Amino acid sequence: MPGIFVFGTIENGIPSRSTLELLTGAQRLAAGLQEGVSVGLLGPGDGASLYRYGVEAVYRANDPLVKEYQADLYLLALQRIAQAAGAKVLLLPGDSLGRDLAARLAFRLKAGVVTDVIEIDIEGPEKMPRFTRPVYGGKAAAVIVPKRFPVVVTLKPRTFDPAGPMGQGKGKEVPVEISLDPAQARTRMAERVQEETTGVKLEDAPAVVSGGRGLGGPEGFTLLVELARVLKGAVGASRAATDAGWVPSSMQVGQTGKTVSPDLYIAVGISGATQHVAGISGAKTIVAINADPEAPIFKVAHLGIVGDYKAILPPLIAKCRELMGS
Amino acid sequence: MDLGLSPRQEMFRDMVRDFAEKEVAPRAAAVDAEARFPAQTIRMMGELGLMGVAIPEEYGGAGGDMICYVIAIEEISRACASTGVIMSINNSMVCDLIHKFGDERQKRRFLIPLARGEQLGCFCLSEPDAGSDSGNLRVTATAEGDHFVLNGVKNFITNGREADIAIVFATVDRQLKHKGISALVVEKGTPGFQVLKEENKLGIRGSSTCQLLFEQCRVPRENLLGEIGEGFRIAMVSLDGGRIGIAAQAVGIARAALEASLQYARGRVQFGRPIAAFQAIQFLLADMAIRIDAARLLTYRAASLRDGGVPCTRESSMAKLSASEAAMWVTTKAIQIYGGYGYITDYPVERHFRDAKVTEIYEGTSEIQRLVIAGHLLG
Amino acid sequence: MRIVVCVKQIIDPELPASQFRIDASSNRQRPNGHPLVISPYDENALEVALRLKEKVGGTVAVVSAGEPSAISALRKGLAMGADEAALISDPALDGSDAFGLAAALARGIQKLGIPDLVLCGCESGDWADRTVGPILAEALNIPCVSFVAQVDGEDGRLRMRRVVEEGYEVWEGAPPLLLTILSHESNIPRYPKVKDIMTASRRSIPTWSAADLGVEAGDIGKAAIRTEVQQLTLPSRESRCELMDGEPAQQVTTLITKLRERKAI
Repeated sequence: MPGIFVFGTIENGIPSRSTLELLTGAQRLAAGLQEGVSVGLLGPGDGASLYRYGVEAVYRANDPLVKEYQADLYLLALQRIAQAAGAKVLLLPGDSLGRDLAARLAFRLKAGVVTDVIEIDIEGPEKMPRFTRPVYGGKAAAVIVPKRFPVVVTLKPRTFDPAGPMGQGKGKEVPVEISLDPAQARTRMAERVQEETTGVKLEDAPAVVSGGRGLGGPEGFTLLVELARVLKGAVGASRAATDAGWVPSSMQVGQTGKTVSPDLYIAVGISGATQHVAGISGAKTIVAINADPEAPIFKVAHLGIVGDYKAILPPLIAKCRELMGS
Repeated sequence: MDLGLSPRQEMFRDMVRDFAEKEVAPRAAAVDAEARFPAQTIRMMGELGLMGVAIPEEYGGAGGDMICYVIAIEEISRACASTGVIMSINNSMVCDLIHKFGDERQKRRFLIPLARGEQLGCFCLSEPDAGSDSGNLRVTATAEGDHFVLNGVKNFITNGREADIAIVFATVDRQLKHKGISALVVEKGTPGFQVLKEENKLGIRGSSTCQLLFEQCRVPRENLLGEIGEGFRIAMVSLDGGRIGIAAQAVGIARAALEASLQYARGRVQFGRPIAAFQAIQFLLADMAIRIDAARLLTYRAASLRDGGVPCTRESSMAKLSASEAAMWVTTKAIQIYGGYGYITDYPVERHFRDAKVTEIYEGTSEIQRLVIAGHLLG
Repeated sequence: MRIVVCVKQIIDPELPASQFRIDASSNRQRPNGHPLVISPYDENALEVALRLKEKVGGTVAVVSAGEPSAISALRKGLAMGADEAALISDPALDGSDAFGLAAALARGIQKLGIPDLVLCGCESGDWADRTVGPILAEALNIPCVSFVAQVDGEDGRLRMRRVVEEGYEVWEGAPPLLLTILSHESNIPRYPKVKDIMTASRRSIPTWSAADLGVEAGDIGKAAIRTEVQQLTLPSRESRCELMDGEPAQQVTTLITKLRERKAI
């Protein structure tokens, strides 16, 4: 039975980006441990699109009760599917769903759990999988090995490349019977609010301009929006700015916000707390603009300007506009 | 002898340090550059109990001791010396004074709002012709029925512009010299009491330093603190506590300068190495640390004696003198370590240097402190 | 409403990277006398609890499973306004993973009496596993909602604002519930007042051992761990920041040049 199990989602007929990232991790584990890869799907969606990624089996539980996310029901379903699949390593995305479910699933499966993994490798003749994750706000990296199986693993989003197809692929679909009872759902969602973000998505943007406490207030973001627009990028924020209520928390970049790895990251009025820096370690070029020359962000940035952002950004926007010809 | 802090004092220190780093330090540069009174910070400090640290809870205070008080002044002053002196005046020179010398009615009426930080106080002793010679006052208090009438000018009064309550020292009879001095509580808004002028200063620019005018200012007799003629003693006893506060302020300023110098020396690379690798810098840093630790220990000693109700005039003078001279020396050397950058206002050390200077002057100049100490030595 | 908040004491996570050292024998950060603080999101959780108590009444208990030094973290919790505190500390717990810690915490919470709400920080400021909270919910057999920014409670039903990638969701549930808490403008932790620090310093806080709580020896400690830290490494980050000189116009020109050199734009 294939022992590497991915909890996936199908969007518009194809595997979602997070599923493809998980499949990259799965392929690495499958090759190293000489196991097969299976995917668990909840609800409807064409599982056949997965076979070309080296997936041998798609375990599907299609109960109307799992059409919408609800933690208790999803856990029961996932537990059932994982058991049916005989999973040894279970991969879940490190997103809001994974945060809710991974550790709880591990508890129910009497499994270990490793979260926010950025690297997977296989060690030695014993073929021990090793999972690397950032710790201490990214100041260090921990290499974790499971002492028992199964083990539940979440991968840090946007860290693994999405899997490429591995040929035609053949697989089979295995329906799994789950009998869920609405009374098992102990919480219910009353409302979902999508926060307005126009333009490029933060995690996908090639350039990100972020603002922090040094902007002094929400008005400061107007200049950042303009700069981001010229650079064809997105606007982010530090926790200080979102905690102050200046911008929606969906704009937060950092440990508990989004991780971004753009070509260009410009931090304006951001002191550079560990928490924030943890979200930008993948950025290729980091520019810091801050009035305080001793701000920690200058230890992390590649290029910096010490000064008042109100004096720096307008000429910067003008020059970038000239350059980009827009 | 245990020189460490108790768990309670450590918890207290951690809170004040956290508050100072998050709320006080980020505003310090602007407070200095704009010479702006940190009203919001002072209000928050009042709510936390920091404006009446060592005053008992029944009088609106936080029920702490002098050790907690000096810990707080040091942490706040490390972040912002202006905020430190505003706090110190309110605590030592106003709240503590009313607590020691006020009657029950005065404590209920004046001390409670001051200790709670709902009102701010100032201490009015200095005059244009009476600085170090503080016994030679010219502001007069003339008895007229159930009032005293105040006439004259006070200067260099910290918190003069913002204060709701002023402790004013005036003489009932210049012939009696210092034995004629009496202490009165004067409320802002009393007719004949106005702020004449606010000075433009080298340092501690966030605190107001004012010239106050009293012109036929009628103060109710019941606002007399202690006895007629007891004023000078009241001022001197209060200064013993106030000097401990200023000593802590100076230690805080010096510590800020040392910490900045350490960070800078680690990062600044010249001749292929961080300048922290050079002995010249290392020797400076070591000397800075010794002076600060020594000043802090003298401050704690004076605070500890005051907590025990033991007279501590000599010890508080030694603490104030030692700490203020240490602060001046340390901040001067800190600019030196920073080199050219130390002279530039983007960096904090020039502000620490400017803030440090006044600690050698107010609440008794270094010269006066030396006289006090020698006086005790010679008996 | 009865609320229990779980707090972890950690080395101050905001220490500069230059002072960060690894202890190779324990595969943890070397304490080096650095200041110890309550893990930041645990403080947000405590603030949520205190504001709920102010709004609807009730009690807040704060509990920690860790070293004896964690007593000072619990005292701060009392000074901030918690009504009671308890420390779970025992050498038998050393080396426990999230499952072991959660087992001990679950027993401790059962000893206090299962409350309406158990609150934990969404992740710890050091290890950031995000596992203890959800596992504790399982151990207590109560529902769990993670990454909650705000909670409201009325008539026995709780409403939580759960933060997700695109925005947020509002979830409802009946107590008892376990929530993991994220920072938000509505839960910035308060500073304890001086007089409350003085009072809290005089309170006695019980310390419970594993035996006191009846925790299964086989569930805790190094022998029970399900995953192991094999190694802790320092990523090499050599970055010398280049500062642009001159007036803003000049700084901007130089910056653009350098960005083009780096192909960043």
